[in-house]
Amino acid sequence: MRYVLSRIGLFVLTLWAAVTLNFILPRLMPGSPLDAALAKLAASGQQVTNAQRTALESELGSPHGTVLSQYWDYLGNMVTLNFGHSYTDPTRTVGGSIARALPWTLILVGVTTIIAFVVGTLLGVWAGWRRGTKADTTVTMGATFFASFPPFWLGLLLLYVFAFKLKWFAIKGGYSEGLTPNWSPSFISDAMQHSVLPGITLALTALSGWVFGMRNNMINTAGEDYVTFAEANGLKQRTIALRYAARNAILPNVTAFGLSLGAVLGGSVLVEGVFSYPGLGHLLFEAVTNHDYPLMQALFLVLTVGMLTAIFIVDLLYARIDPRVVRT
Amino acid sequence: MIRTSVIRTVAAAVALALGVTACAGADQNSGNSSGKPSSVLTIQGDAGDPTLTENFNPYSSTQLEGTRLIYEPLEVPSSVNGSYTPFLATGSTVVNPTTIKYTLRSGVKWSDGKPFSAADVVFSFNLLKKFPPLDTTGVWAQLKTVTSSGNTVTMTLQKPNVPFAATLAQVPIVPQHLWQSVKDPTKFTNTKPVGTGPFELDKFAPTQYMEKKNGSYWRAGTIAPTEVKFPAQSSNQSTNQLDVTSGKFDWSYNYLPNVQKTFVSKDSHNKYWFPPGGTIGLFLNLTKAPYNDANFRLGISYALNRSTIAQKAVNGYTGAASLSGLVLPNLKADLDPSLPNQGMVTQNTDQAMAAFNKAGYTLQGGKLEKAGKQASITLSMPNNFTDWVAAATEVKAELAKVGVAVTLDEPQYAQYEKQIGAGTFDAAMGGFGGSGNPYTDFNNALNSKYAAPINTATVNNFERFKSPTVDSALAKLAAATGQSAQQQATYQLEQFMYHQQPIVLLYYGGSWGLFSDKNFTGWPSASDPYMLPTTYNNAMLVVVTHLRKA
Repeated sequence: MRYVLSRIGLFVLTLWAAVTLNFILPRLMPGSPLDAALAKLAASGQQVTNAQRTALESELGSPHGTVLSQYWDYLGNMVTLNFGHSYTDPTRTVGGSIARALPWTLILVGVTTIIAFVVGTLLGVWAGWRRGTKADTTVTMGATFFASFPPFWLGLLLLYVFAFKLKWFAIKGGYSEGLTPNWSPSFISDAMQHSVLPGITLALTALSGWVFGMRNNMINTAGEDYVTFAEANGLKQRTIALRYAARNAILPNVTAFGLSLGAVLGGSVLVEGVFSYPGLGHLLFEAVTNHDYPLMQALFLVLTVGMLTAIFIVDLLYARIDPRVVRT
Repeated sequence: MIRTSVIRTVAAAVALALGVTACAGADQNSGNSSGKPSSVLTIQGDAGDPTLTENFNPYSSTQLEGTRLIYEPLEVPSSVNGSYTPFLATGSTVVNPTTIKYTLRSGVKWSDGKPFSAADVVFSFNLLKKFPPLDTTGVWAQLKTVTSSGNTVTMTLQKPNVPFAATLAQVPIVPQHLWQSVKDPTKFTNTKPVGTGPFELDKFAPTQYMEKKNGSYWRAGTIAPTEVKFPAQSSNQSTNQLDVTSGKFDWSYNYLPNVQKTFVSKDSHNKYWFPPGGTIGLFLNLTKAPYNDANFRLGISYALNRSTIAQKAVNGYTGAASLSGLVLPNLKADLDPSLPNQGMVTQNTDQAMAAFNKAGYTLQGGKLEKAGKQASITLSMPNNFTDWVAAATEVKAELAKVGVAVTLDEPQYAQYEKQIGAGTFDAAMGGFGGSGNPYTDFNNALNSKYAAPINTATVNNFERFKSPTVDSALAKLAAATGQSAQQQATYQLEQFMYHQQPIVLLYYGGSWGLFSDKNFTGWPSASDPYMLPTTYNNAMLVVVTHLRKA
């Protein structure tokens, strides 16, 4: 119980520190929401005038009050989950923007993280168990190959070949243009089809990490005495590999898996950007380019809470899996 | 034991999921490349972030561009040469340099059936006065009164400013009977827009909106598209380029490298027009020495090979700029015939050295020096404006040959914007002109009233140029009503630009219009340059109402 309480205390403390940092960091960025709004106009080739600047300034409003009072308001809003309106588009609430983007990221990145973990770990077990064989070389080489691709580059490549050249998939978006998200089977299949390319991109590039981690752990455990003992007892290779060696080797990977599930909420900024996927990563990217402080803060909060919660759960789980952590 | 079975269950679920997604990936093909011409016009729409926000408030800075087809202004001046296309007004007269009179079109109806009247125009202008955030073009900085009588609207100005009519004419007009009850029009998203324009909102979805033809439009018979579709564009440039070249748009606005191969060759209907839309220049901070010395600026100017710079920056789609400050050939009617070679200057190292010598600089062992100090420039530009970066890199190389040390500073746009606004820069790449109206172009860039002190933000005249001669020439042009008086005043400004070079103009920035004439014809082109091909601002209204069925 003391262990659990100390974990909860640590969780709250880290959360406060993260939330505070989250307040400070965006304000250290050069430029203001107004500059960013003018930048958007200029980038589209429109003439920017002082009149526009004045009008925009009064439309967007600038952060008012001292930094301390802003911080106090901010803490209050974070606790009550009232994130206010976006700076870039005063007609939009931050909560609404996040609520719209959240499911997309949760499903796309969540599912691909799980797939990458499961497939990667199994491949790692296989490669590690048959270390030095052709199977091992193939898996290791393949994983190295995909690990060396930056995700957005692989994304662009897949986009070019499968969406642009072969036209098997749509070039952009999370669903066909003109549709409104709903739960009808036709919409779900449309959304699934749009998620194939970004999903493959994310899964392929994340896969290799799991493969390498698992393969190396397997090689270590395969040399343990209990494995030799099991072999001497004439157990089936498969049984030894999965039930004895892999079971011990998987522990560090489980920790890492917990962390990467926590990171899911951050989406994948670059990959979502390439595919114009309507998720949190893309939203975060837009918020940062537009200096949209309220949106940025809310997104970082979601991200931090997701991560801390994942760490917290992994901590608690670990106490069950490995009782040694509680005693020390 | 338990963990193994969990892994097995998950593996099975994953296999199932993969199977499902694989099956779903078969039937996506919009197939827009064959068959009969469609009456649906598809325009590459706004960039979502990542999805679109429904906002059809014509005064909002975050309005969807399609709003331009729903609300009409009085008139729209061409961004090429300033000539007017009438909309809600049939014409205008400059009564005197501070009074402009508009005659309104009769028989126009709002899309809800109510008649349009002069009261709506007066109401719309007063709305901007009451809510300054809506006044994005700053009309009330110039206006004194807006009044109506019968079907005429009279606007009076605080000071003579005839060219400002171009801005007044473009204010979108909204219906008084609906907008007078809007409590806070600055936060109003107007999701059920009622306008006088050729189109009405049909359907809105987060990644695409559609507008249908307004059957009661005052010239409905000449409007070719029955429906306009605006699919959202990506904020990722490469994704957009793939989208554009896949041929799904009738009209899009995108810079494409090697357009002949990447776009034109894909379909016999594909056309492009990349006219010059403004001038890109080297803005030297005129509050600093030696940049405040015209001889030093002339030295820089002569040392540059503008054709090479244009080639590097924009693939040679547009060329070297005329130093008169006019965008050519768009404004050739306003060009002072006495300027040699249309104001074009070719690279000439001897002349550059002569000018540098006049500024007190001499070449010492490959370095251009004055009192033992080498002439140096830190040149700023936003890092994502790749054409500017390419141009600046070439400028750096060419100036190195005359002994000037150039350092490139490539911050994010917001940082760049802050630097130039506050005047804390040496030199910056920037855009000059492009409004289609010489007065607006010169006034924004050179009027000393915009030259804010250092550390006070300004968008216009950020190089901080101050000259009583230019100010009085601008005032003369603002008050000129006759064509020859306007021409004389414009010539004077061109001469000044050419000889003093307050901004070292480099090359023309392009306007990247990509069209398909499969469904519609009548796109702006080099032979029919009635409008710049921009899919934003009122150009859209003029172009769409100009189209004919293919």
